[in-house]
Amino acid sequence: MSRPAPRRIAHLDMDAFYASVELLRYPELRGLPVVIGGRDAAPRQLPDGRLRFARLRDYVGRGVVTTSTYEARALGVFSAMGMMKAAQLAPDAILLPADFDAYRHYSRLFKAAVAAFTPRIQDRGIDEIYIDLSDLPDESADIAARIKRAVREATGLSCSICVAPNKLLAKIGSELDKPDGLTLLTEADIPLRIWPLPVGKVNGIGPKASEKLAALGVHTVGELARTAPEVLQAHFGRSYAAWLAEVAQGIDERPLVVHSEPKSMSRETTFERDLHPRLDRPALSAAFTALCRRVADDLARKGYVGHTVGVKLRYDDFRTLTRDLTLPSPTADATEIRRAATECVRRVPLQRRLRLLGVRVSGLAPAASVAPAPLQGELPFDDAPGARPSNGLGQGGRSGALDEAAARR
Amino acid sequence: MLILQAERDALLKPLLAVTGIVERRHTLPILSNVLIEKKGGEVGFLATDLEIQITTASPEALPGEDFRLTTSAKKFADILRAMPAASTVTLEKDDGRLTLKAGKSRFNLQTLPADDFPLLSANGAATAAFRLAQKDLKRLLSQVQYAMAVQDIRYYLNGLLLQTDGDTVRLVSTDGHRLALASAKLDAALPRAEVILPRKTILELYKLLADSDDGIDIELLASQVRFSFGSTVIISKVVDGKFPDFNRVIPLDNDKIFLIDRVTLLQALQRAAILANEKFRGVRLVVAPGRMSILCTNSEQEEAEEELEIAYQGGALEIGFNINYLLDVLTNVPAETLQLAFGDANRSALFTIPDNPDFKYIVMPMRI
Repeated sequence: MSRPAPRRIAHLDMDAFYASVELLRYPELRGLPVVIGGRDAAPRQLPDGRLRFARLRDYVGRGVVTTSTYEARALGVFSAMGMMKAAQLAPDAILLPADFDAYRHYSRLFKAAVAAFTPRIQDRGIDEIYIDLSDLPDESADIAARIKRAVREATGLSCSICVAPNKLLAKIGSELDKPDGLTLLTEADIPLRIWPLPVGKVNGIGPKASEKLAALGVHTVGELARTAPEVLQAHFGRSYAAWLAEVAQGIDERPLVVHSEPKSMSRETTFERDLHPRLDRPALSAAFTALCRRVADDLARKGYVGHTVGVKLRYDDFRTLTRDLTLPSPTADATEIRRAATECVRRVPLQRRLRLLGVRVSGLAPAASVAPAPLQGELPFDDAPGARPSNGLGQGGRSGALDEAAARR
Repeated sequence: MLILQAERDALLKPLLAVTGIVERRHTLPILSNVLIEKKGGEVGFLATDLEIQITTASPEALPGEDFRLTTSAKKFADILRAMPAASTVTLEKDDGRLTLKAGKSRFNLQTLPADDFPLLSANGAATAAFRLAQKDLKRLLSQVQYAMAVQDIRYYLNGLLLQTDGDTVRLVSTDGHRLALASAKLDAALPRAEVILPRKTILELYKLLADSDDGIDIELLASQVRFSFGSTVIISKVVDGKFPDFNRVIPLDNDKIFLIDRVTLLQALQRAAILANEKFRGVRLVVAPGRMSILCTNSEQEEAEEELEIAYQGGALEIGFNINYLLDVLTNVPAETLQLAFGDANRSALFTIPDNPDFKYIVMPMRI
């Protein structure tokens, strides 16, 4: 029996995606350190028509860096860094607000360009995808180059691609030659190109695991490959240890998940300043309603309804709580989501200020698949006193005095 | 230091009476603990979830010094439960650790300071207070508690309305689809007062009530209710909200009326329910002079049909219901015969006990 031909999986990662989209819009910023983050950093138009950009040194607040250009990264400014800290490192960097609508637009463009080659694509976020090239006739290097060209033509942006036998290696490989990289990896390349890398480069070995491995004297993937399985099992769970041993050898059998149904949709927001549940009630309430609307819009746009509504709260001490509530019937309605989310918030202590608030709808089903259920009548509590009890069925659904009373609270 | 020696059951029984309300996961770690307090000969047990607090005491006086401590309610109960019934248990406390010994078993448990344990204190004067036999309250609760809403967004339905008025105590529950009402006459003159008791309180109270003539004292306080029976005291917060006006939904002019044997109808529905749609639980009742048919179909198009003879000569009617709503009332009402009164297919049905105004069950139909 012959071995099946090795798979050819590509990982395509857009280069500094958000920042690059901004540079398309403001080409004059090319070559300068640019940091994306914050909310109010939009450039102002000067009387002579030129744009005046905000500088990082002027930033006051508590935002974090969403992303930065390679020039800013050279100064030590990376994603998720506090902006005030970033301002110390790169005070002259240009500051731009994040414009997620634009990023989503370019995301759709580059994915559509790749979809012209093959439908075997796994979405991995706004700026990266896996592509299964196994069934395509061409040489890997050739087809990867053509995909890169197509992405550039569709978006004006560069990306890095690695073609490898599996997702694990492809993901690692696309980092090796960034930006505008094209990397080919085979099993034979593992000792030379993968083993020297720090273990943290492996998707799935996070900071905590890296730290634990470092304590065992394991810093590189090669050292991980030489570590006895018993040692790994003694320090990590059995399944994680087994996984570590496999990834060190570059083994990853995971298939591409070409079509994935979303499990939940959520929106959250970190407040400009921590809000007090009582004193800042109007602001909190408005933000809460807005989140529910946005989740409802997301559901409607993608054609889903959800059974469970949940909230996420982060207090000023960074403790995070979630609560959820399952509804009698699935919904995509902002008012119903808001009402259920309010019910969830009722179940959490509200003594501390809040830093973050989020709303999530899960238990999703395509809106079209939900058959019209038999209609259970509601008791007509809202009829005028003395009136003859009327047909509770005619009102359709759950709108009645009971709900209004709940909404008033 | 030895602080207590007792038979297992002298500790386990009162412990289990209070630990039913302890939440598995709570933001305040001490709330997963039980407060054990010995004062004189009496050993008291107390648990709370900040909404409800239950205290009770060991049935007999126990020797030893006074003490107060809190330890994990679940672990303490699990350990005692796992001991042979007749074993003698000793408790020792040293440096914030609790050691439980029985025979050759030894368990060392963490404690948290008893002074940190949050206590609900009953506050305010009672707006109404009355006494019932435990078995009477238990019977009243069994007639209505099944109709309470579960996690409804209309939070005030996740509980039970308790109303006093003159010589009457009334309990009402509804989930918006059906409503159950039971009342009892007392030899008392009570003010008009009403509270909504949380669902959890009702379920816990029902579990703890005995089928006995022993009394239970019920006091409605400013924002709490206190139940005292035997050596047990439950203090519960009440639900802050307005219960809907149940009088508005009692149908007055349902004219398709007949009597039916409760058990006969219950058994017929239980059989038909086997083929009721698993999700929507619909049942169709077809009422005609002299007979009533019960029809269920499920999502696989399987069908069940039952036919009952009824003493009825009125007009014909076909009406759908959630079969669980019918099974609930038939299971929980202690009467041989029930009166069913229907209007039309879109209006609520009324279940009553003949010649007894103390019980009503109103259920809305389901359009199948």
